[in-house]
Amino acid sequence: MSSARALSVAPSPAFWVAVVMYTAATAALLFVLVGHTKLRPLAVGLVAVAFVAHGADIGWRGVQHVHPAQSVREAIGFLAFIITGGYLAVNMRYRLTLGGAAVMPVALVLLVVARLSPTGSAPDDLTTLGRIHISLATVGVAVFALASVLSMIYLVEERALRRKRFDTLAFKAEGAPLEALDRLSLRLIWVGLPIFTVSLVLGAVWVPEIGEAIFRPEYALAALTWLFFAGLLVMRQVYGWRGRRAARLTLAGFGAALLVLTIYLVRRMVGMP
Amino acid sequence: MSELFVVGISWRTAPVAVREKLAFRDEELAGALQTMTRDLPVAEALLVSTCNRVEVYGVGRPGSDPTGPVRAFLAHNRGLPDGAVADVLYDRRGPDAIRHVFSVASALDSLVLGEAQILGQLKDAYSVAGEAGTSGPVLGRCLERAFGVAKRVRTETAIARGAANVSTVAVDLAKRVFGDLEGKSVLVVGAGKMSTLAARHLYTSGATHIVVTNRSPEKAERLAAEIDGIAKPWEDLERLLAEADVVISSTGARQPILTKPLFKRVTKARRWRQLVVIDIAVPRDAEPAISELDGVYVFDIDDLEKVVAANLAERAKAAEHAGKIVEHEAGQFEHWLRSQGVVPTIRALREKFAKVADTELQKTLDVLARKEHTPAQQREVVQRLVNLVVNKLLHQPTAALREAPPDEAALRAEVLCQLFDLQPERGEREGSAPVELPVAPGAGQIDESRARKVAT
Repeated sequence: MSSARALSVAPSPAFWVAVVMYTAATAALLFVLVGHTKLRPLAVGLVAVAFVAHGADIGWRGVQHVHPAQSVREAIGFLAFIITGGYLAVNMRYRLTLGGAAVMPVALVLLVVARLSPTGSAPDDLTTLGRIHISLATVGVAVFALASVLSMIYLVEERALRRKRFDTLAFKAEGAPLEALDRLSLRLIWVGLPIFTVSLVLGAVWVPEIGEAIFRPEYALAALTWLFFAGLLVMRQVYGWRGRRAARLTLAGFGAALLVLTIYLVRRMVGMP
Repeated sequence: MSELFVVGISWRTAPVAVREKLAFRDEELAGALQTMTRDLPVAEALLVSTCNRVEVYGVGRPGSDPTGPVRAFLAHNRGLPDGAVADVLYDRRGPDAIRHVFSVASALDSLVLGEAQILGQLKDAYSVAGEAGTSGPVLGRCLERAFGVAKRVRTETAIARGAANVSTVAVDLAKRVFGDLEGKSVLVVGAGKMSTLAARHLYTSGATHIVVTNRSPEKAERLAAEIDGIAKPWEDLERLLAEADVVISSTGARQPILTKPLFKRVTKARRWRQLVVIDIAVPRDAEPAISELDGVYVFDIDDLEKVVAANLAERAKAAEHAGKIVEHEAGQFEHWLRSQGVVPTIRALREKFAKVADTELQKTLDVLARKEHTPAQQREVVQRLVNLVVNKLLHQPTAALREAPPDEAALRAEVLCQLFDLQPERGEREGSAPVELPVAPGAGQIDESRARKVAT
């Protein structure tokens, strides 16, 4: 059914700029963390340059007919791009140095995986429905990723505060107030879930259309991801869940989403349909 | 040159029992300052009197040492016998005095490193001296610079970072959870002094509602009135806890009153909304186990003090860098002060040159106004003016150089070369006639008699 075709082009120069900038930004953020606070504008500037270079790379690939929603591999690169953008946006309001130092390496790894992992092969009969499904899934997962980053920062900060670890970086680093992190993470899930839901429904329509089996582990995991986030919203609304419990559930949901992505990626890499 | 001096006493040299004897009330400051500048060899003076220091900053009259008289004045003025405080008074002069003023303003000499009050107190003292007419150009410049240095130190170092007292730390911890305290409500349990302080701090940081509860309703009412809060009955404690965002507890109870069973009900009722409990009572009011509950953060007095100690340690680290800034700025100020010694000379030189130029310019303008001149004639008039001014300005130095005794001539020539950046040609014949600029070339064409008159 699916014929093999090249899914990628060589990384653009902007990709290498982004790689260098992500690395430099991580280093600068670490320096800020250990007390060189004067470097903060530089660190944020480097993240911004990395973001722009990353965007330029995506644009360049678009011109070469390799679109973000074309494959899981491209989608992962796009996911990292949205995470960096989201971090920059949140950073305008709160100084999330520790969060930045944790997120930038993740974005870097995602970008490198997206560009340098074996291309493998994939169905080339990607219909409009398929493209919309992948695009929405990518955006949905990216929003969940941002929510998870905030939840992770919440858990680290909360732990330091609860255990009174006043001498740890988690306590000393400038972060965001717990209440704000919790609220922001919830809002993102409210945004991400409808997008993810539509993508699931479209996927369920699209998969039989291209003649693939509807029962695969990644589909079950995708459904589980949806259940985690939908369940979280229900628990929040009905039982007032918040804080630690909500943050853990968010991370669990995102873990499931990551698994889905990994399965897709590995499947393509080894050339399975 | 006017030299700055400092005479004073501080927490470093004397206990409060001694410091209080030398303290001045606000209304006494102006009188004391005026007495000093009137009766002592002091040209400018400022007096700062706080709970941690009493210090006179001043500028002595030329050729005098004002520190001795000021030391004596401080003791006499406060009615102390001679020598009573001699051991604890210190004095600094010149560069040391500048460094001291800058350090004090930057709170590097404060009991609590980096505290913010001293800067305000210095500003007040400066304005009192200004009103009393005892602050002059040197002291004024020194204080203005000290305020600038203090600002620099606060922004460039961590000297003022992190709360340095327990009630500020309580506010900081609450902010870690809630961010903005705007709209948050505070419940004060018990009526201890510390809780009053902390509640007031939270209130000034934006918390909107303060509720006070105490076993004795009268005490609750009294405290509530004091801090703009509302008193509520002790029996409502559970409901009050469910409604509050920050709880400050400082009862005298022997057993914990904020127990885990109580808080289990409370957290459920508040749907796990975050709650910060600041327990400053000893023995503690809150069972440590309540911090295991979701959304509850408990800090006891030890925690708060630990944060204070850590912050102060950070400040001490920052003090080293701050000291370098003070050192550098004091050096620059000293340089400026030294340059002030030659200012009158510079001013006189400028005035003299300006006078010569003005006089000659006026004469030339008169000549030009008398009749129409062709452009060529105008050019000649201006040329003559320039030459005339140059000749007049150089006349005196040239004469002084020529008439100097032999042993001084070389020195004067050397100084002139340095001042005007001259490189005289080697081997030039000694005593050859100096070049004088022609003053009246073709003077007959314009106004001969006038030109001659001007040239003489």
